Amino acid sequence: MKYRFIIICSIYLLVTSCSNDGRGYEYMPNMYRSPSLETYGKNKIFNDSINARKPVAGTIARGYLKTFNYGPSLEDYLLAGEHAINPLESNSDNISDGEALYSMFCEHCHGPDGAGGGSITHPIYSVVPYYNDDKQKRRSGTTMSELKSGHIFHAITYGLNAMGPHASQLTETERWKIVLYVQELQKYSNE
Amino acid sequence: MLPENGIGENMKQYRSVKALIIILLILPISNLFADDITSGEKLFKQNCTACHTMTSARLVGPGLEGVTDKYEKEWLIKWIRNSQELIASGDERAIAIFEEYNKVAMTSFDFSDQEFSDLLAYLANPPVIEEAIATSNNIPIEEGMSTSTKLMIISLVLVTLVYLLVSLKNNLKSALGKDTETIPETLIGQYSLFISNNINVIFVSAIFTIIMLKFTYDGLMGVGVTTNYQPSQPIEFSHKIHAGQNGVDCNYCHSSARKSKHSGIPSANVCMNCHTYINEGSITGTTEIQKIYDAIGFDPKTRTYIDGYVQKPIEWVRIHNLPDHAYFNHSQHVVAGGIECQECHGPVEEMDVLYQYSELTMDWCVECHRETEVQMEGNNYYTHLHEQLKEKYKGEKITVDKMGGLECAKCHY
Ligand code: HEC
Repeated sequence: MKYRFIIICSIYLLVTSCSNDGRGYEYMPNMYRSPSLETYGKNKIFNDSINARKPVAGTIARGYLKTFNYGPSLEDYLLAGEHAINPLESNSDNISDGEALYSMFCEHCHGPDGAGGGSITHPIYSVVPYYNDDKQKRRSGTTMSELKSGHIFHAITYGLNAMGPHASQLTETERWKIVLYVQELQKYSNE
Repeated sequence: MLPENGIGENMKQYRSVKALIIILLILPISNLFADDITSGEKLFKQNCTACHTMTSARLVGPGLEGVTDKYEKEWLIKWIRNSQELIASGDERAIAIFEEYNKVAMTSFDFSDQEFSDLLAYLANPPVIEEAIATSNNIPIEEGMSTSTKLMIISLVLVTLVYLLVSLKNNLKSALGKDTETIPETLIGQYSLFISNNINVIFVSAIFTIIMLKFTYDGLMGVGVTTNYQPSQPIEFSHKIHAGQNGVDCNYCHSSARKSKHSGIPSANVCMNCHTYINEGSITGTTEIQKIYDAIGFDPKTRTYIDGYVQKPIEWVRIHNLPDHAYFNHSQHVVAGGIECQECHGPVEEMDVLYQYSELTMDWCVECHRETEVQMEGNNYYTHLHEQLKEKYKGEKITVDKMGGLECAKCHY
């Protein structure tokens, strides 16, 4: 009888220990899944049951005061080019921060020197305007190398055609830092 | 025989002369075209493909298949030189295009006359696109036999063996004129013979106990450890394609890893930064990308968002999950610590389907805190503290645990 019991137990263990696609066992599951809401979880409070909420309309989060008050239209783009001022100083700290951010958010399309050659393999993104291009006139009425900081900030914030808007990924300060670095690249010569 | 041969020879000569004439006639023409077209193609690829395809498919602007038939040369040149001027001059066709494509102003291109004729030659004679023959979809996936199938086969073989041996024994016995036994009788007989010897019993139960202990130990050590957990996700997103082949930085999509406790899952608008225009994947075609569009209500044909669409969240399956009594902060490790994502998450850029690479156990955390040196350079916030630490641990490596990285309350509070 004793042996039979052990055999049955071991077969049971063998069978139950074999699954690999689930999460396996947890100790004290209610410490893993406590009643407090997880960032991307579900809840029963809201109609759409999504925990990740949008900010309440009309509120401004701490540290997110607007430094750029132009809309997405072409008129606003032109106005921004004329009037928007970069609140940051163009010093080496800000530029090197901008460079790091540029390598995270722009390089794969615009290339390491802002003159093409990004790592994206899709044909649409194999053609991007070069920041140092001083021949082709653009929507700003100027060439790429003459784009003002307001133009560049507007392009990052609202995008342009195949380039998507990056406002949700970058704070305004971060965008101004990138602008400083792009302005360095506008002076870049590939000769 | 001979005359026939002669005729054949004549025919051959005649044919080759004809062919030569044809080739001579065609050569200069095709050469002429070829030159124009290749430099036109180069111009096109350098300046136009961001917004136009050579098929009928719409990108930012219209697909350019057959434009040269639709519009005259002079008009096209005017449009490409400065479309805004043409629209302002009240040209009806120009205004119609501007309206149809959401009033996006096309960049003006100041090409030379030669460049314009090259470009138009290319537009009139686009390359023939070869149909892709083999799609990677159809490659059959070979998988090894699962462990349970193997076990089943082995046990079947064993049962058959027992059956064969017993019937063999019975055959022999009946041949000798002895009593035959049924299978259970044989098994029970053999079994009682075996356990009548004490050494046998001790030996077997010792082995058995060791195996059981090993199983129990492994089982207990595995509780709460989900290394290699690799669930299937609602969208077959491949990190290998995005982070590996296309070299998109981790921070591009997980932009909150630098700022928050969480390394955020990108909201669909981040996908759309590229997938507004990239509608087809290299492995799964349109099916997987369509799932993003279904979630947010985007029509890839017209490239517009559907009015009044009820958006629904994409429910990704969470892989990395610390228990709630342990606090972990991404920004602390990514920004202050300067740790590469791969150190904890493994070679994500090689994973088609993501899995958990590290154990994420307390032992694993502690081990790293004991070995990792504090990143003091470029951190001006704690200059004073860092000076004190250097003073205290002269000549020693200053690791995370030396400044309290092993305090219980650092992670459990
Ligand atoms: C998904 C690829 C992609 C990414 C990422 C990207 N861009 Fe672009 N960018 C483009 C393309 C394509 C264009 C050309 C758009 C056009 O002219 O139709 C462009 C155009 C621009 C322009 C010219 C806009 C104008 O007003 O003429 C600027 C400036 C620019 N990008 C800056 C940036 C910066 C800074 C970043 C990083 C935050 C960035 N881009 C990220 C693809 C990208």
